[in-house]
Amino acid sequence: MGTLQSLVDKLARSPEQARAENCRAWACTVAQATPIVEVTPRHQVKVAGIIRNIRIDPRSGSASIEATITDGTGELVARWLGRRPFTGMRLGRGLIVEGVAGLGDDGELVILNPEYRVAVGPEHP
Amino acid sequence: MSKAAVALKRVAVGRPRSSAELENTLLPKFIALPVFSSDPLSSNAYATQEILLVLALVGSSALALVVPIAIAVAFLLVTVTVSYSQTLYAYPNGGGAYIVAHDNLGTYPGLVAAAALLVDYVLTVSVSVVGGVDAIISALPELTDSKIPLALGFVVLVALANLRGVRESGSFFAIPTYGFVLSVYALLATGFVKCLSACPQAASAGIEPETQSALTFFIILKAFSAGTTALTGVEAISNAVPAFKYPKSRNAATTLAMMAALSITMFLGISVLANRAHVVFTEGSAVSALAQIGEAVFGRGIMFFLLQAMTAGILILAANTAFAGFPVLSSILARDRFMPRQLMNRGDKLVFSNGIVILAFLAAVLVVAFDANLNSLIQLYLIGVFVSFTLSQAGMVVHWRKSKAPGWRTRQYINGFGAAVTGGVFVVVVQTKFAGGAWIVVVAIPIIVYLMYKVNRHYGEVGRELRRVDRKPRDRRPGNQHMTILVNDTDEVTVRAIGYARSIHTDDIEAVTLDGVDPEAWQAIAPNIPLKQIDTDGSHTAALRRYLRHKRKELTPEDFLTVVIPEALGSRSFLEIFKRPRLTRLKAALVAEPDVQVLDLPIVKSEVKPSFEQAAEPARNYAIVLVSGVHNATLQALEYAETLRPTDIRAITFGLDPEASERLGKQWLEWDIPHPLEIEDSPFRDIGESLVEYVRAFKADGVHRVVTIVIPEFLTTKWWHKALHNKTALIVKGRMLFEPGVVVVSVPYHLGHR
Repeated sequence: MGTLQSLVDKLARSPEQARAENCRAWACTVAQATPIVEVTPRHQVKVAGIIRNIRIDPRSGSASIEATITDGTGELVARWLGRRPFTGMRLGRGLIVEGVAGLGDDGELVILNPEYRVAVGPEHP
Repeated sequence: MSKAAVALKRVAVGRPRSSAELENTLLPKFIALPVFSSDPLSSNAYATQEILLVLALVGSSALALVVPIAIAVAFLLVTVTVSYSQTLYAYPNGGGAYIVAHDNLGTYPGLVAAAALLVDYVLTVSVSVVGGVDAIISALPELTDSKIPLALGFVVLVALANLRGVRESGSFFAIPTYGFVLSVYALLATGFVKCLSACPQAASAGIEPETQSALTFFIILKAFSAGTTALTGVEAISNAVPAFKYPKSRNAATTLAMMAALSITMFLGISVLANRAHVVFTEGSAVSALAQIGEAVFGRGIMFFLLQAMTAGILILAANTAFAGFPVLSSILARDRFMPRQLMNRGDKLVFSNGIVILAFLAAVLVVAFDANLNSLIQLYLIGVFVSFTLSQAGMVVHWRKSKAPGWRTRQYINGFGAAVTGGVFVVVVQTKFAGGAWIVVVAIPIIVYLMYKVNRHYGEVGRELRRVDRKPRDRRPGNQHMTILVNDTDEVTVRAIGYARSIHTDDIEAVTLDGVDPEAWQAIAPNIPLKQIDTDGSHTAALRRYLRHKRKELTPEDFLTVVIPEALGSRSFLEIFKRPRLTRLKAALVAEPDVQVLDLPIVKSEVKPSFEQAAEPARNYAIVLVSGVHNATLQALEYAETLRPTDIRAITFGLDPEASERLGKQWLEWDIPHPLEIEDSPFRDIGESLVEYVRAFKADGVHRVVTIVIPEFLTTKWWHKALHNKTALIVKGRMLFEPGVVVVSVPYHLGHR
């Protein structure tokens, strides 16, 4: 019965769910990474996620580059201030960031100027 | 799309797949074999018969030649297989004839190979499906009259299976392919065992065909070229290397070798048995040669019907090889800008839906045009295969000479030999089939090459023009926004439109009307906006266009002139857009008008709360500019957005191709564009849906907050260029029609103008 139930669940899951699971599976392979849902503000954390959104703001004064990543448990914004080279940032790539988490204007989790590493994610190389 | 339509699409093509799942659609060998080799394997169903058909022109005495001719074809197949397996290793990312010829021989040989392949993919579908229907009719003669509808039905069926995605098709295709192979081997084993005592004789044995020709060398060549159908499909494997599981090249080569081994044994076996059973096959024969052998060996029993069912099955599925190959090739050609860019899009199911639909359509046309007659269709076949074989292997010779990889000399000789042999066969095929219909293909290939060249030149010109630096984002003089609202009433929809126009802080707003609008009522709703009556004398469109051109002349080139068209929608139904033909005509005419922007303001009537006293003025207007690249059309659209003086301007792009959007991000910084760019994910590659989701986050209501979507468009000078651009704008306009508080404006950039 249990097997049947899980089969039904598997068939009925939405494409978004299937995607989140893939994503979760990948993030779990990164050593010492904290699931985003467990990240608490004002603590040093290491988080791995897939790049879902990239925002480039070249306006002087507010120049920044940010990437929103997700690991299937939640979303986190990595933000680098100032004008900087834009390399390796590609949708679907894995991004591993380390830094102190904080809360942004809309209550989103943000890490400012994190150390980062781009990795081959489960989606696009 | 309505819910019902979505549900229907899901049932027919399944759940959408994210790009991430591409990795999971990789094929293991035992599934790859039926997917990519159903075509060459299935040709065994008619290859022997086509040889017999030619030999029968001489008379029954010549029929024994089927065996040596079959051996010659088998030799050719070995040559091509050995030669092609080298390509599989050299081009692990897929080395179809187009890529190999393009890389090593140059653009035109590449295009010739591509055109040849495109033609042959279409023919593969038609020939295979018709052959499959023939197999059914051989077993069930009462179906003869419904041949064409049956064939068309199967074309649609295979197309649907492919729209569902390749792997699901893979397991679905495994049964008939393996079933066909096994039942042919069973036929051969039973037949040869019976031959130890006395060979079973075909029903047609002893019939003396009318002699129409002497046994000439030409007839032998003709029979040989008829037998070479066994060679199609090798291309499919070389194209599909990336679809194999790791190690891709080795798995692909193994699959190719398995395919060749199966094909050769079946082909030789059937030919020898046909000879021993004395099968006679002529133009008038209703029962296929293979069915005749089957009937002789098995009798009309269960095994006979099983053989026919499997034959029909594999032939119909052989069409699948082409469905796997055609969309891949057209998307590569689209990427290289030789075909319309829409073909690059992977559909909901990660397959290239547009290519599949086109292929099915063309194949259906051929089936009808040739009356579902296998023998006439086969006359057109194979030209493309041998053109592409020859070019591809000639390309490989150059490849080895350039690469100087270990053992390059030997490899060069192998491919050189392959090229020479297939080149020779190409000459034979053209000579023997030209009058019978192959001339159509010989004419079609240069035409397709020319069209691809034209498309490429057009995209090239557009690219150059778009990148010409005549606008510098930071130091240009911004123009002014001039708004003209087209009104035909003073109802709540008009009030809403005025509100929108007011939220744009422009100095110049005016209203024009083509119908009589009561000046007093107008005063009541918009006291400080002048209303002008335009004299129509007949054509509304012409009158409005005249007016706008006149006004445009008074503006500087940097200024923008926007025509605001309020559209009252009675209900939330797409049928609404057909209800106002006059408005539709008007808009169509204005979109083609140079230097005029058309701003659609669709408003669902019942959702507006009447507030006649004062037009509400939305306090926040968010401008979203859709961008696909950094070029003049984008910059112009951004300038346009600036003149709206919105609360916020942002450019967004959907990362259908993550690599291209990364490039876009880099260029955005290089060009120093003073607005933020957001690269948004569109996991299911549905831009309309992703945009709806994005826009809804702004919570626009049309009264306090509005969202203005600005779409750069290209206006082209020639009609056929239109097909090559502007598809996104069309999708977005449709999707945004019922989003409250969202307006869409296209900013046309004129190509070949200015």
